[in-house]
Amino acid sequence: MKDNKIYETLSKPLSKIGLSPISLAAFAAMALFPLVSPNEYYTKLGLTCMLWGTLAMGFDFSVGYINVANWGYAGLMGLGAYLSALLNKYFGISPWIGILIGGVVVAVLGLLIALLTMKMDAMFAALLAWFVGIVLQNIIAAVPNITRGAMGLNVRSLFATPKTAPYYYTMFVICILTFCVLKLVVNSKFGLSFRALGQDIEAAKAIGISPLKYRTINFVISCFVAGIVGGFYGHYVGVLSPNVLGTKNVVQILVIAYIGGRGSIWGSLLCAFILMPIFEMMNSLAEIKYIIYGALLIVSMIYFPGGLCKIPEKIKSFKAEKNK
Amino acid sequence: MILRTEGVTQRFGGLTAVNNVSLEVNKGEILGIIGPNGAGKTTFLNCISGFYTPTEGKIFYNDEDITGVPSYELCKKGIARTFQIVRAFPKMTALENVKTAIVYGGADVKNIDIDKKAHDLLDEVGFAVAHDTVAETLNTMQAKRLMLARALATKCQLLLLDEIAAGLTTAELPDFIALVKQIRDSGVTIICIEHVMKFITSTCDRVIVISFGEKIAEGTPEEVLSNPVVIESYLGKED
Repeated sequence: MKDNKIYETLSKPLSKIGLSPISLAAFAAMALFPLVSPNEYYTKLGLTCMLWGTLAMGFDFSVGYINVANWGYAGLMGLGAYLSALLNKYFGISPWIGILIGGVVVAVLGLLIALLTMKMDAMFAALLAWFVGIVLQNIIAAVPNITRGAMGLNVRSLFATPKTAPYYYTMFVICILTFCVLKLVVNSKFGLSFRALGQDIEAAKAIGISPLKYRTINFVISCFVAGIVGGFYGHYVGVLSPNVLGTKNVVQILVIAYIGGRGSIWGSLLCAFILMPIFEMMNSLAEIKYIIYGALLIVSMIYFPGGLCKIPEKIKSFKAEKNK
Repeated sequence: MILRTEGVTQRFGGLTAVNNVSLEVNKGEILGIIGPNGAGKTTFLNCISGFYTPTEGKIFYNDEDITGVPSYELCKKGIARTFQIVRAFPKMTALENVKTAIVYGGADVKNIDIDKKAHDLLDEVGFAVAHDTVAETLNTMQAKRLMLARALATKCQLLLLDEIAAGLTTAELPDFIALVKQIRDSGVTIICIEHVMKFITSTCDRVIVISFGEKIAEGTPEEVLSNPVVIESYLGKED
């Protein structure tokens, strides 16, 4: 009983910045991880989890709320990566500013996609975004004298040191900011309109919600996240190829978001920390790992359609049953 | 007069679903629209509520031409509707359903406690289960009450009900009739499409009959239901 009280008193001020005591503890653990990490490999792995988790959060922000699966998410992320890298290479623009510019440009592209499709069924936005991603990938591959195409573009690293820790903490800041901002938005009045539109668009229209306006707002925010994370990705890994923009990466993000549970934000991040280490281990399997992704997705959709984020609810209802 | 339509026609390709329907709705009345299945009643309602733009004809609401204005803007002007099937936001609680309508439906939300208002609205329509029940788990009766609460949350002046009494048991019907009358008495004009005749005869001030997309009769429920043309459209012609 006493524990509950402490939890409640902590919850209120934390909710003003989009956190809860549990998510705060999780982020604290993430912040401390490099200090206890046995070697660089594990720090890098932690960073990878955060990176894909952040992308999955941005993806879930659209698919879990307005029910638009952004099949161009990797394309948009890759656009952010290439923009920042190229701005630095040709114009000497600082990666920090480049990442921001990348985010804004990707958001504007998202705005264009949304304005064209958000009056229609969700499928059209998904398709157009997918095609845009494919076109971007091919454009980048087609101009090797600018982007070096499939040979790979060397990108200036964000820090002079070869150590992972600075990158880890940069990604950590992007991750926690994304989490807090997305949480604040979905807990606000905007969240109500997003969920209404995602669950029954005709009924949402009947109570005064403009599909074009609110779905566009949602989509643009989601795309901005992809652009920012993409920009960081390029300056972190140091080399980019058009494969980054490919549909395989969308599948990876989608698997994390779906198994994490749509419409929760935190489910995606948690799931990244569970799945990414497994995916990394499967790297030697090359293409076969995508079959495993598919199988994982199917199994989770049949036996666990709500995803990881439904676990607390399940425990609660189980306890309630027991008390009866 | 709150609503007037002039020669509203809706065609889908070669099919004329609504043909040249003109009507007037007076403030504070309950107007019933009846007619056989497939007569074009719901299509007509979709035109009034902004879900379709009529192929021909004009619609005036409080003397303002609203032809082609989308539903989400009409809602802010004071026209709300329910659907033939229950269309609650399934994963939201009943309370969140109503709150969403309060926030976006055009009511002035600056100085009101939205949570309290939502609770009040659910109580007003006699929503009898816990307000934090997830909408998809509600039974028909409670879901229909929720639909009414959500429509009323938009502060509507004109409420369009599409077969709100369908699927209710005879035991539930009197309660529902009383509820609809109570909504009218609070100053809301109502247009209802209905097949349940008991609902029509005990609530409607006036009834319009639509058959094959055309208005074939108009009058009090008693007049209309004894009209041979109407009986023929429902039951067919005697040989």
